[in-house]
Amino acid sequence: MKKILQVKDLELSFNTFNGEVKAIRGVNFDLYKGETLAIVGESGSGKSVTTKSIMRLLPEQSAVFKNGEILFDGRDLTKLSDKEMQKIRGKDISMIFQDPMTSLNPTMPIGRQITEPILKHQKISKSEAKKVAIDLLRLVGMPKPELRMKQYPHQFSGGQRQRIVIAISLACNPQILIADEPTTALDVTIQAQILELMKDLQKKIDTSIIFITHDLGVVANVADRVAVMYGGKIVEIGTVDEIFYNPQHPYTWGLLSSMPSLDTAESKLYAIPGTPPDLLAPPKGDAFALRSEYALQIDMEQNPPFFKVSDTHQAATWLLHPDAPRVEPPLSVIERMKKFPGSRYYEGGAV
Amino acid sequence: MAEKLLEIKNLKQHFNVGKSNEVKAVDDISFDIYKGETLGLVGESGCGKSTTGRSIIRLYDATSGDVFYEGENVHGKKSKKDLKKFNRKMQMIFQDPYASLNPRMKVMDIIAEGIDIHGLAKNGAERKQMVFELLETVGLNKEHANRYPHEFSGGQRQRLGIARALAVDPDFIIADEPISALDVSIQAQVVNLLKELQEKKGLTYLFIAHDLSMVKYISDRIGVMYFGKLVELAPAEDLYKNPMHPYTQSLLSAIPLPDPNYERNRVRKSYDPASHNYTEKDDVQMREITPGHFVQCSTSEFEALKASVAVR
Repeated sequence: MKKILQVKDLELSFNTFNGEVKAIRGVNFDLYKGETLAIVGESGSGKSVTTKSIMRLLPEQSAVFKNGEILFDGRDLTKLSDKEMQKIRGKDISMIFQDPMTSLNPTMPIGRQITEPILKHQKISKSEAKKVAIDLLRLVGMPKPELRMKQYPHQFSGGQRQRIVIAISLACNPQILIADEPTTALDVTIQAQILELMKDLQKKIDTSIIFITHDLGVVANVADRVAVMYGGKIVEIGTVDEIFYNPQHPYTWGLLSSMPSLDTAESKLYAIPGTPPDLLAPPKGDAFALRSEYALQIDMEQNPPFFKVSDTHQAATWLLHPDAPRVEPPLSVIERMKKFPGSRYYEGGAV
Repeated sequence: MAEKLLEIKNLKQHFNVGKSNEVKAVDDISFDIYKGETLGLVGESGCGKSTTGRSIIRLYDATSGDVFYEGENVHGKKSKKDLKKFNRKMQMIFQDPYASLNPRMKVMDIIAEGIDIHGLAKNGAERKQMVFELLETVGLNKEHANRYPHEFSGGQRQRLGIARALAVDPDFIIADEPISALDVSIQAQVVNLLKELQEKKGLTYLFIAHDLSMVKYISDRIGVMYFGKLVELAPAEDLYKNPMHPYTQSLLSAIPLPDPNYERNRVRKSYDPASHNYTEKDDVQMREITPGHFVQCSTSEFEALKASVAVR
């Protein structure tokens, strides 16, 4: 498969009055053509900052690239000028934001908001752009698009607004679509519609999607691959089956077992104790060690490197080191591992 | 099941009554809440679940209908003294831990506000002691009493909200989406705390939420609301295993679960309220299909549901 975006050793800090917040501390991943990569993690883990740095949407006075590169089309996005970046943003890489209530301009009819990127990036006339916009609205399932073009955002429901935001982001057939918690503000029934729409559109126009969310149910639904972020780093990355049925990092274990499942009746939910690390003074070793019952002595002192689990699956935890003691994951995780051929708890049967 | 703690009868909450934009936020709903149980209330935004909670605790004046608390009608005209008595028994935890705490008050005073109003502490030392104990109950410590809300994280703030609700030693707590604004890992902490407190103090909860998997986990019974009406009420397990109302079925089929295999095979059902074809003559109301499992249906639908249960 073709690599469309490569993020290499990315480090980014925010300069604040309290000092330097190391929001991203060495992130590496590739995005392949036509796939959906989900990034999960709690707030403050750096998932939104990672994608905003790809879009170069962070304020340049305070957000500083410390190291690394973001390669797109053979160019390093961190080094482009604002002018050059403007040609990419909204055309080759576009973004869907979390809150459909605030990401549209309330004083502009939606038709003009959809034609804006088309007129900016393509050399076509206004009337042609309007036709494209109507087609886009039809594509995202908006009834009576000709009439709706003249209406303002407040005349639409939350789900409809998110459809409009998606239409805008697709206006120039982007190669990469970044969706930052696109369904968090929506109801489950509307969420299901939007997710189906996004998967449908991905098939039609073959774009790659980076999907940020903290809802693991949504991840299981949309993702081909999953990256788990914690404390400004990716701690585990693999295919969706590998992450859900053969997780290796204690933080992934914690995330998976803190969600109640619909069919089992546990007496107590597993809760990850404590709070996320303070990135003003990030911990020396594994950032998750202080909250983890599986932490080893070395976790406090040295940052774990990535250990390879399979060709597509890597996890940064000392537990995978050949000399590490064998530990038992939480029960609910063992239940998951029983379904995965290749895990040490596999009990047979097909996945 | 145990005795009734709360009886809600034909509760209606209409806004803008008599105007063209009248909203029937809660339209004639009735249910009971039993002592020591957790009743979950789910539905999409705008279905009236929060309004129901707020009407019960009298944050809104209900348009019509009654709420009986241990057999005593708590709505309607009340003297200040009666209201005070009632307010002590019923407390609320709000959705947004950032907006529901006064930023200019210290934690000590936020939590002690109820204690002061009801005169529960004899002197300053006792008041302090009570606040310290409450903080420990919710997993914070007494050093936190002298801080302001902005010094706390979202999960900690929600703990403060819980401590404040507990301060007057209530029997019944309405939790209005208490975990929606929190991170996944923190949600589990707060839910566990609520469960623990229920066991220790014998509390009764009305738990309002839209996250269905969390609701199932915490609730004994669950009510499903749709456009101001209660459409189904059943024991939690039963509701998830045998949803009977088509809206409940569509709602359950829309939840994504953290299981890729399940997700690949999940088929979503959609719900069209017109599919019932109710006419004026149909007597649409809540009817008990199996013991404890109520569904809003017409007489003909009732017969059909009864028959389908008999087959099973």
